[in-house]
Amino acid sequence: MSRPLRAIWAVISSRATSPLVIGVFLLIYIVLAFITDDTLIALMEYTRTNVLLVVLLALVPLNSGCRIVKETDRHLKLRRALAGKSANDPSGLFDESVALPVPSSFDGLSGRLAATGYRVRCTGGTLAAWRGVSIYPVRVLFLAGMFCLFAGILVSLTTRTTHRMSVIEGEPLPTATGGGGLVERITLKTGAGPILAKILTMDVAPSDSGDGRKVFGLYPPSLYRGYFVYPRYIAIASIIRFSAPGGQTAYEKQAVMNIYPAGKEDRVEIPGSPYRILFSMIQPEDGSDPYVTGRITYLFKLMNGKEVIFAGSLPVGGEFVRDGYRLAIPEGKRMVITDFIQDYGVLLVWGAAIFFLAAGCIWLPVTIFLPRREMLFVSAPDNIHACSRSEGGGRKHGGVFHEALDFLEAGMADRQPFDGGSAEK
Amino acid sequence: MVLAKLAPHLLSWAGIVLAMGRGFSGRRSVVAAGAIVGFPLGVAGACLLSRAYPGDFSFAIIRDIVGGSFLLLWGGAVAAIYSSTVREFPRSWGERLANSPFCAGAVALSSGMIAGAISACRLVGTYNTLPPFLLLALAASILALAALAVERALAASFPVSHSGLMASVVALLLFSASSIIRLDLFSPLTMKLMKFSHDFVHQFFESMLIPDHLFIRTYLWGYIGLLFGNGVGFWGALILWFTPAVLVALAIQWERLPSVAHIRQGAQRRRLLATGIRARRFRLVIPVLAMVVLAAAVYRSRFPSVEYWDPKPLPISASPSGDIFIPKKGDVDLEDGKLHKYLFKQGGREARFFVLMTPAGKLTVDLDACAICKPDGYGQAEGTVICYYCKTLIPLETVGQPGGCNPIPLPFTEKEDGVHIDGLTLLNMWGTNAQSTARVKGGGK
Repeated sequence: MSRPLRAIWAVISSRATSPLVIGVFLLIYIVLAFITDDTLIALMEYTRTNVLLVVLLALVPLNSGCRIVKETDRHLKLRRALAGKSANDPSGLFDESVALPVPSSFDGLSGRLAATGYRVRCTGGTLAAWRGVSIYPVRVLFLAGMFCLFAGILVSLTTRTTHRMSVIEGEPLPTATGGGGLVERITLKTGAGPILAKILTMDVAPSDSGDGRKVFGLYPPSLYRGYFVYPRYIAIASIIRFSAPGGQTAYEKQAVMNIYPAGKEDRVEIPGSPYRILFSMIQPEDGSDPYVTGRITYLFKLMNGKEVIFAGSLPVGGEFVRDGYRLAIPEGKRMVITDFIQDYGVLLVWGAAIFFLAAGCIWLPVTIFLPRREMLFVSAPDNIHACSRSEGGGRKHGGVFHEALDFLEAGMADRQPFDGGSAEK
Repeated sequence: MVLAKLAPHLLSWAGIVLAMGRGFSGRRSVVAAGAIVGFPLGVAGACLLSRAYPGDFSFAIIRDIVGGSFLLLWGGAVAAIYSSTVREFPRSWGERLANSPFCAGAVALSSGMIAGAISACRLVGTYNTLPPFLLLALAASILALAALAVERALAASFPVSHSGLMASVVALLLFSASSIIRLDLFSPLTMKLMKFSHDFVHQFFESMLIPDHLFIRTYLWGYIGLLFGNGVGFWGALILWFTPAVLVALAIQWERLPSVAHIRQGAQRRRLLATGIRARRFRLVIPVLAMVVLAAAVYRSRFPSVEYWDPKPLPISASPSGDIFIPKKGDVDLEDGKLHKYLFKQGGREARFFVLMTPAGKLTVDLDACAICKPDGYGQAEGTVICYYCKTLIPLETVGQPGGCNPIPLPFTEKEDGVHIDGLTLLNMWGTNAQSTARVKGGGK
C-alpha cells in the first residue's frame, strides 16, 4: 500500500474518526442553537443542502465499515497467533509482551494453566492459553449497527421525499403519479394491544395501473408504489352548501374539516363574503366515536366577522334554515391525511436498532461473566516470547501470566507449587 | 461589602491558580505571570464590554466564552478517555504541547481573563466607579500569589493530570459563573436540552413513521410525554454537566499500569503495581473535587439568591362581543414597567396572560406561557423575566418577540385609554399553545 493510501486508510479506519465527526455535528448544532429555536430541523436542513456536511456524515458509516474490516483482520491474526500458525511477531496484538531468556520448554506449564481454568493448546513451539468469550462479535454487531444507523440517516436526509395527500373514502387513492386504486373503506377500530389505542385500516381496490388490492394499516407502514403510507391525521371531508339571505352568497364545496376527535373546532371560510362557519363534531351520549360509527352530527356556529349570527347542530345529510340563511351538509366522508414517503433510510435505521439490541444483549453478560483473557508463549532458539491480553478481569489474568513467567524462568515445574489464581495488586 | 459579594468568585480564582500551579508544576513562574496579568485584563475587558454594549449582550458574550470552555473540557475529556483505552491513540504531540511553557502561560492567561470577566460582572451595574474594580484586581493578584505559595507546600505525591487540571479549572469557572444569574450556564442548558428532546422525539416519530398520539394509548403517550418535561431537561443537563469530569476520572482509573512482566521477583512487581495504583488514586482526587464543585454550581443555579416579582393573576372578563379591555391607569398602572398578570375565564375555558411595559417604552401583551414548557408562568427580576418551568431568563427587551422560551405574544390593540384583546383569540391561543405543552400535567399552575 502506498503512503497516501496508508494515510487515508489510517484516517477512515481510526477509532477517533466517528467521535470526531459526531463532535463536529454537535458543534454545528450548538452554533445553530444560538441562531434558531428549531435547531434540530435547521441542522437537518443545513446538512441536506451542504455537500461538505453530507461527505462528513458519510465518513461515519465508512469508518464503521473500515473498523469492521480492521477489527476482523486483527481478530483473525490473533486467532492465527493463538493457533500457532502466525509467522509474524504477535506482540502488537497483545497488551503486554516480554522475552524470557530461558530454554524453550513449556514442561508442566499447560497443566498448571489448565488447572486455573484456562483452555490450553500446545502446537509445535507455541503454547496458547485462553478463557472466556471474545468481545469481537459484539464489536462487529455494534459497528454494523453504527453503519446502518448513519447510512440510514444519510440516505434519509438526502433522498427522502414526502407527498401529503387526502385519502377519502370512496375516492381514488391520491398518489404522486395518479391512477391509484379506489379507497373502498376507511375503518377505525378500538385497539386491543398495549400500544395502539385505535387501529386504522384503509382498504384500497386494485387499480387500473396494475396495483393489487391493498390494506394499509398503521405500523409497520405499508408500501405503495415504493412509498411508505404514513397516516397522520383523521378528518372529515364534507360537502358544505351555504346560502345567505338575498341569494348574493351561495357556496358549495367539499371541505376538509379537521374536527376529530369530537369537540375539536375547525372553520370554513366562505370566499367573497364576510361569513365563516365554525364546525365541530358532537360527542354522542353513548360515548361512541362518531368517526367509527359513521353517525356524525356537526355543531356549527355561523359568523359574520366577529358576530355570531346563530349556532346549531346538523347531521350528515341534513339541512338548517333560519332567517333566510340555508346551510346543508349532504355528504360527509371519512378521510385520512396521509403522507406518502419515499425513504429507504428507514429500513437501515430499523436494521440498526436490531443490531444494537443484539450487541447490547450479548455484551453485558460476556463483559461481566466471561471476559476474554489470552496468553501466548512462543519458543525461539534461545528464549521464550510471552504475550498477554485481556478484555476484562485484567488484574487476575496479569497475576496468572506473571506467575507463569516466573514458573518458566525458574524451570522448576515439578518442585514449586503454582499459585496461578492469585491476583497481583 | 464588595469583597463579600465577590467571595465565591475570588475563592474559585484561588482554586484555579492552585490547580494550575500543581498541574504545571515545572512552570510556576509562567503560571503566576499569566494569572496575575490575565485577571485584571478580564476585569478591564468586562468593564469595557458592558460600557460598549449595556444590557444583556455583554453578559451573553461572557457566558458564551464560559460555555466555550465547557465545550473544550468535553473535548479534552473525550481525548483523555481515548488516550487511556485506545492503544493506537496518538499521544506524543499532545503531551509535548501540554508540557510546554506556552501552554502553561496560555491556560493561566485565558483562565485569568475569564475568571476576571466573570468576577467583574458581579460589580457591573452596581458600581460605576473604578475603585471596586481595582480592589478586585488587587485582591485577585494577592490571592493568586497566596495560592501558589500554598501549592508549593503541598506534598509532591499529590499530582494533577492535565485532564484533571482542565476539569478543575472549568468546574471552578462554571461555579463562579453560576453565582451570577445572567452568566449561569446550567439553566440555559436545561432548556436547550428540553427543546432538543422535544424536537428529537418529534423527528424520530416522523422519520420512523411511527403513528402520532392520536393512535397511541394514553398511558403510553404519558410516558412519551415525560420526554417533553423539564425532568428530561434537568437530568439530561446533569448528565452533560458531570460527564466530562466523570470521563476524566475514568480515564485516570483506566490508565494502564506500568508493565511488570520483565520483573521476576513477585514482591517487586507487586510494589511497582501498588505504587502505580496509589499514584492513580491521588490523580483521581482533583476530578472528584471538580465533580463536587460542579454540583455546587448546579445548586446555585437551581436555587439562586434572587427574588422575583410574581403578582397574583387578576380575574378579568370580556364584553358581550368578546373584547377584553384593560385600562392603562386603573387599579394597576400598566406603564410602571412591572409584570401585570390576568386570568380570563369563559365557558369552562381559561387563559392566563400578562401586560408589561418593555424598557423601550412599548406595551406588550403575552400569554403567561411559552411554546415549549409547561405553562408554569413567568416572574420578573431585574432586567429579565424568568420562565418558572425551565428557569430560563428572558431579557425584558425581547419580551413580546416570539420564539424559544419567550412568552407567546398576543395580538392586541393599544388605544389612548388602554389595551384591547380579543377573548376568543386569547382562549384559542392558550388552548393551542400552552395546553399542548401541558399534556402530562394538564393545565398549568
